[in-house]
Amino acid sequence: MAVIDRPRRGHRRGRWSALLLGGLLSLMAARLPADDVVGPLGAVGSDTLAGLMLSWGELLTERHPGVRLQLQASGSASAPAALAAGTTRLGPMSRSMNEFEREAFIERHGYPPVELEIARDALAVIVHRHNPLASLSRRELDAIFSESRRCGGERSIERWSQLGVTLPGDRIVLHGRNVASGTHDLFRLRALCGGSYRVDLNEHPGSAAVVAAVAAEPSAIGFAGLNHLTAGVKAVTRRDAAGEAASPTPQAVRRGDYSLSRSLYLYLNLPPGGALPGPEHAFLELVFSPLGQTVVEEQGFVVLTEERLAEQREWLDSLPPVE
Amino acid sequence: MRTLWRRRGEGPWPWLAAGSVALSLLMLLALLLLLAIRGLGHFWPAEVALVALQDGQPFAGVAVREEQIPGEETRERLYFTGNRDLDGDRWRWVEVSAIADIRHPAELVVLQRSRWGEFHGRLVAVTGGGEHHTGEAAWPALQARLSELDVLRDERDRLRDDVVVPLVRRLDNAGNLADADFRAALAAANARIRELQSAMGDDILILESVDGRRIEQPLDLVLRAWRPNAMSPLDKLGAWAGGVWLFLSEGPRAANSAGGVWPAIFGTVLMVLLMSLVVTPFGVLAGIYLNEVAHQGPLTRLVRIGVRNLAGVPAIVYGVFGLGVFVYGIGGTLDEWFFSESLPSPTFGTGGLLWASLTLALLTLPVVIVATEEGLARVPDHQREGALALGATRMEMLTRVVLPMTLPAMLTGMILAVARAAGEVAPLMLVGVAKLAPQVPVDGDFPFLHLERKFMHLGYHIYDAAFHGDDVQAAMPLVFATALLLVLVILVLNLTAIFLRHHLRARHGAPSRW
Amino acid sequence: MKDPRPPLSLRLRRRRVRDRLATLLITAGGVGVVVSVLAIGVFLALEVVPLFLGADALSPRELWGPQPVEGYAEPQHRWRPEPLIEGDTTHFGMAPLVWGTLKAALWALLFAVPLALGAAIHSALYMPRRLRTRLKPTLELMEALPGVVIGFVAGILLAPWVERHLAGSLALLVALPLGMVAAGGLRALLPMPLRVRLSPGWAGLWLMPWLVLVGVATLWLAPAIEAALFGGDLRGWLADTLDLDYAARNAMVVGLAMGFAVIPGIYALAEDALAGVPGSLGEGAQALGATRWQTLWKVLLPAAAPGIFSAIMIGAGRAAGETMIVLMASGNTALMSINPLEGLRSLSATIAIELPEAAVGGTHYRLLFLAALVLFAFTFLVNTLAEGVRTRLRRRYRRLEGGT
Repeated sequence: MAVIDRPRRGHRRGRWSALLLGGLLSLMAARLPADDVVGPLGAVGSDTLAGLMLSWGELLTERHPGVRLQLQASGSASAPAALAAGTTRLGPMSRSMNEFEREAFIERHGYPPVELEIARDALAVIVHRHNPLASLSRRELDAIFSESRRCGGERSIERWSQLGVTLPGDRIVLHGRNVASGTHDLFRLRALCGGSYRVDLNEHPGSAAVVAAVAAEPSAIGFAGLNHLTAGVKAVTRRDAAGEAASPTPQAVRRGDYSLSRSLYLYLNLPPGGALPGPEHAFLELVFSPLGQTVVEEQGFVVLTEERLAEQREWLDSLPPVE
Repeated sequence: MRTLWRRRGEGPWPWLAAGSVALSLLMLLALLLLLAIRGLGHFWPAEVALVALQDGQPFAGVAVREEQIPGEETRERLYFTGNRDLDGDRWRWVEVSAIADIRHPAELVVLQRSRWGEFHGRLVAVTGGGEHHTGEAAWPALQARLSELDVLRDERDRLRDDVVVPLVRRLDNAGNLADADFRAALAAANARIRELQSAMGDDILILESVDGRRIEQPLDLVLRAWRPNAMSPLDKLGAWAGGVWLFLSEGPRAANSAGGVWPAIFGTVLMVLLMSLVVTPFGVLAGIYLNEVAHQGPLTRLVRIGVRNLAGVPAIVYGVFGLGVFVYGIGGTLDEWFFSESLPSPTFGTGGLLWASLTLALLTLPVVIVATEEGLARVPDHQREGALALGATRMEMLTRVVLPMTLPAMLTGMILAVARAAGEVAPLMLVGVAKLAPQVPVDGDFPFLHLERKFMHLGYHIYDAAFHGDDVQAAMPLVFATALLLVLVILVLNLTAIFLRHHLRARHGAPSRW
Repeated sequence: MKDPRPPLSLRLRRRRVRDRLATLLITAGGVGVVVSVLAIGVFLALEVVPLFLGADALSPRELWGPQPVEGYAEPQHRWRPEPLIEGDTTHFGMAPLVWGTLKAALWALLFAVPLALGAAIHSALYMPRRLRTRLKPTLELMEALPGVVIGFVAGILLAPWVERHLAGSLALLVALPLGMVAAGGLRALLPMPLRVRLSPGWAGLWLMPWLVLVGVATLWLAPAIEAALFGGDLRGWLADTLDLDYAARNAMVVGLAMGFAVIPGIYALAEDALAGVPGSLGEGAQALGATRWQTLWKVLLPAAAPGIFSAIMIGAGRAAGETMIVLMASGNTALMSINPLEGLRSLSATIAIELPEAAVGGTHYRLLFLAALVLFAFTFLVNTLAEGVRTRLRRRYRRLEGGT
């Protein structure tokens, strides 16, 4: 089957045990108030990660009522700018910082930002649920979305009839994220081979808005984070050169089979040898705990591998203690 | 023929003009009705349908809308099924022709949960505290346990908000943890909270979805439960009223896609209050200066025209100015001078309540200046001359004769400014609004009003929930309700301004400017 | 009895001193406020100046002219101010943004001006006073509706609906005016008592249910019309015959939404202009045998024309600066096309999206300040012009009134 449905059966057991585990843990550990963590916890950055950050934040304030949450999520590109300018300490991003952004941070603060991986995700190419399109090759995807066609396509694909699909409106309408978004940048790098988008790409401030727009327009195609898909759209599989289809399921993302997978990052402004303030330390503890990772699953992302989690927990423990 | 046509009347054009009025009013009415119906309808408990398909499993859901399948004659319907932990999705599109049967069984329950969203299905059993209820007895047992749980939850929240949080903050501010009294009080409160937690923690519900899958649901993660198909219209009205109240008084949940908008209401009102505190004195001062004190030459006329034009400058330009001057400029400098020990965490060098209020004050300054000037111009010159003739100095003439007569106009100006500021979102996106800031900037610790904190705003909440949220379709009802609330607030403010203007025109008669 | 108060001369001196002090304070405060308000333009200009100085100064051609773009033979206009990877070319073409702003404003005016002018004419000429005094505040309420609400309704509800019912929507544009005219004609055929009840003065109200009827009928008949005239596929016909591609979020929908927001402003000023025309002119024309409409067309409108023109200009200024509606309903595609059925991108939406992510002091940052400066200058100019025209109009009225 080349068409992807929302994963149901295969996930029931995983979800069930995760739920039990999460429930037990939340009963035992999460609600006991600890009384020495107090202060503001601010983050500026990715919209893709907004739901995850909010859920973690809500759990954190249940444990530590003295923590004050302040969250802004207008897009990954706002994180490096805010980190460099000093308007925030935490910057969630759905892509890694590029050279220019890292340099700007180092120039301003004198040390590089700390990069933490908090979850994994995939970009799905979505079409309307009544669109018969099943799979796209890399060249076709590039020819649809870009004007530079660096992946090797010969002609631009502008109409559905060029792909053999009949739809009420023949013109392909493109939907994606705006320049502030990490999803936008990542799609450019991986799917368009570094090329540039067509000028008539409808730019949306959030992945959920992209999904809503594609679900409402039968002749639309778009890209969005995997966790935002709803019943109104369906994901298109990637056809590689041998004709094999790769679909964006969590297992494929974990194994590394799906080429549009990505890591989700949290960047930290932490002077080397410095200690993290109480709220940030507690937040990161929560993120790397089993409870935090069930939240990752609940939001529709993919949890990190055990080794990666252990690595980052070690780093957190190695920091100087909070005063 | 021509004379015949002329005699018939004035031709088609007057009807087009009349039709323009009708069309404009229709559009306004349609928008307000749309907001009212979708906004208020959100809180009415919808009936859950048990849908049996021709070929597959049954499912339970609330019908949301129907659409024609593009390119075909058949229609499909969207159902909100909840149960995200079981199905992986909350929504389902079904072709109407594939539906075999729709029923509304009375025993279907809807649970609102703090994790994984809503549940639609059947209640099998309630266990906890050594008791086990199944079948008919389960629902009353659930209701009873939920109300007990609510009491415990209220006590826990009250303890946390009124005792633990202030104590913890005071400890944080004081810096030293040596005060035994504080520690003892804190330990006692925490112990009580732990007690409450464990008392709440051991109830488990056994739930079953309509296609037979069972899950165990801890009761303390359940917020509310109801059986919409078994509710009488009076029950539903009560639930509706309760829903509206919760919307206005609760904070947001589930990443802004559920819950209420209380912090946004508070943030909007607080910001607007601060803004009017700044704008009214300065605007009135500038208006008095321009109209009464300055020499009425070409320069003053130019300045007056300039000020009026600034009322038409787009709001986003003020936002850019606020970002550049207030946040990065003055805020960054303030941080360096006074708050350098908490850098790189910014205090004033980032958007916040203070900068947002100042930016909007700048935005609405021209409105207040113009309103004050109009009010001053309405005061007849002979009043001024009479006062001067009786020996008053210019200031005494102003303060004792002119300003009291201008008071209603100044008030109108302030209300117009407030009405305008309550609806502006674009500049706030740049200078201080946050997606989530559930702790309002006013609390019990010194200095009680925290001007550096970010706040939530009703208008931005609409934009955020509709475009940045997790699931736009699920957030739609909340967006409508928030939009309705914002529109109502603004309408009330505008009606007050209009009434005041009408009243003052009636009181002071026609303007005698010339 | 000795007067306990200090001697008259001292009291007078004290009052004079207080007067001078207060005057000084007010002057200082007033001047300070006015200067800070006017300083906005100066501040923006100061931030923009470094763009054009120094080694990496931008040339006007880079800002406004087409540049070579990968994948195209001819130079194109592009707005791509941030590089992502090594070797990325940046394009600072602001032309598509300005084009988009003007296109949105144009379509907003196309919807708003006929409706607002028609409403102003009807309320100035035909409406009884009771209704007119109620209409003005009602339309002012329309102006108070926040752009966020209008924008989200337009982007999330209206745009998909228009896409699903394209034939019906376009048919409505034709059917509604025809329906208005038909109402007048049908009314003439009604028996006398009914005709009196449906008076022209109250037509603004009783046309509302009639227009609803016409609208519903049009939408119901639209599929049949589409099948008959366009072979069942209007979009295909538009694409093949007129070479117009359709996007759900397009300039027409944005224009309708912004027009809705701008109607009250234009209406208020146009109505002021029409109502301010000295009565003697209109009465003179009617005394010479002109109908009300002839008076309007030949006498009142020409007299009030500058006021109406300034109303339209102020509406244009407001439409150019509106941010939220364009941000939510336009698709934000930086195109430079004439097709009203395609998206656009405006200066204000670009600022709102990109300023939070621009590095402080960088080229992108200053370019966004340039965009803000352009918006500021445009609205300032338009408003000053409009205000100047209105002052001349007021003087002209006074002359007309004061003369014989």
